[in-house]
Amino acid sequence: MENYLQLKDISLSYHTKEGEVLALCGINFNVEKNEFVSIVGPSGCGKTTILSLIAGLLKSTKGEVLLDGEKISKDTNIGYMFQRDNLFPWRTIYKNVCIGLEIKHKKKDQQSLQHVEDLLKKYGLYEFRNSYPSQLSGGMRQRAALIRTLCLKPKILLLDEPFSALDYQTKLSVCDDVHSIITKEKQTAILVTHDISEAISVSDRVIVLSKRPAKVKSIQTIDLKNIESPLKRRESPKFSKYFDLIYRELGSEK
Amino acid sequence: MKNKKKIINYSKEHQKYLKKIKVDKFTTLISQVLLLVAIVGLWELLTHLKVLDAFFLSSPSRMISELIDLFKSGTLFYHIGITLYETLIGFAIATILGTLIAIILWWSRKLRKILEPYIVILNALPKIALGPVIIIWVGAGTSAIITMCILICVVITTLSMLSAFLECDEDKIALLRSMGANKFQILIKLVIPNALTEFVSVLKINVGMSWVGTIMGEYLVSKAGLGYLIVYGGQVFQLDLVMASTLVLCILACIMYLFVGILEKKVRKHKE
Repeated sequence: MENYLQLKDISLSYHTKEGEVLALCGINFNVEKNEFVSIVGPSGCGKTTILSLIAGLLKSTKGEVLLDGEKISKDTNIGYMFQRDNLFPWRTIYKNVCIGLEIKHKKKDQQSLQHVEDLLKKYGLYEFRNSYPSQLSGGMRQRAALIRTLCLKPKILLLDEPFSALDYQTKLSVCDDVHSIITKEKQTAILVTHDISEAISVSDRVIVLSKRPAKVKSIQTIDLKNIESPLKRRESPKFSKYFDLIYRELGSEK
Repeated sequence: MKNKKKIINYSKEHQKYLKKIKVDKFTTLISQVLLLVAIVGLWELLTHLKVLDAFFLSSPSRMISELIDLFKSGTLFYHIGITLYETLIGFAIATILGTLIAIILWWSRKLRKILEPYIVILNALPKIALGPVIIIWVGAGTSAIITMCILICVVITTLSMLSAFLECDEDKIALLRSMGANKFQILIKLVIPNALTEFVSVLKINVGMSWVGTIMGEYLVSKAGLGYLIVYGGQVFQLDLVMASTLVLCILACIMYLFVGILEKKVRKHKE
């Protein structure tokens, strides 16, 4: 179970007309199975780029990404969650959730359909399955988006600032919600965020990146596992200690 | 969810507000009808009193009697049928063809880049200038008229649909790609349904454009149809025929527009 996901000496450069930009420089880190890891860093440092690499949507210039011992490719089963829920407004919640099954030609697979139904029931969206996204609140839409990825049973879940489009109150409760679903479903997850408290409240470890070209600056292990909900974790005295630590790490960048 | 009417006791202020909206809607409608009646009435009156010359301006009563004559001679629906046929065929072919070209251009970035200047020029070109060429190439007949109609609609359809396809949210494309979707699946599941509202707008534009194309085509070369009646009426100085045909054209375009309007309502329902 050790080193479920491995990023080995990853470098990536962008090519533009003006020249070559080194975005990532020798990134190394591992993620264990069922672990929740967050990546924080100054804006524009390439956090999302790292997720795209793990998702196989981009290719690194140097280094390799291994998931469960295999090299990442376009066909690797990963789940991706974005800043916005990206539900298709012309599809009902049920059909939105099933889009992944359609893509993978599993729309007639009874087991998968049962799994979808179970997830919808378990997380309170079953009675809204025939509603359209515009009829649901922001929090419920984000939950639907999470179920859409979970029903494909991804090997790893990538979260790209999934709460930043929500207002503060909603953000806290949706964050709690998503965290509990991910823990219950025993998912391995990587969260990218610029919000230090969000990172600390949900993660087992926080990876701090430097500004561009991004390197891993430090990795903080967050020892708040005994407290279940992210919201409660925010009240722990250790929480502010971690916050200070990471804040200073990031601050020394400027 | 929203089709159940709620029975709520509104406050007096709200009742007042609702009433105001109703009155407002009603007065607008009344004014619209009155305006039409006034124009038609004035037109009729002034030509009747010989203040205006009915020979140059025709008059509502003369238009009606012209239409009745056409109807009695059995040619009214013949001409309507011909023009309607040309317009609908042109409209359908242009819409389908334009959308298909847009799909191909969306698919191939390279082709899009190569063809871009040609499409821009084709769009700017007044298509009527190609009239003589069309007649020589496809022959002087219905096919020339339909070709003219297609030519006028197809470029704008292609351009509008292509921009709608390209406007598709990058995040949504990335989402499908992260699920392992191929380009065809992205097209079918996302890009095309996403462009549906734009497609209806294109239909709306094409309703107008296809009538322009067909009538223009009929001006150039025709033996029957409403455009033919208008040209013929003009040549023999029969303004009643010109005006009556124009009136019929107005009504037909209206009906076609209404159909697209109904379609639009259905499509817009679930758009954010």
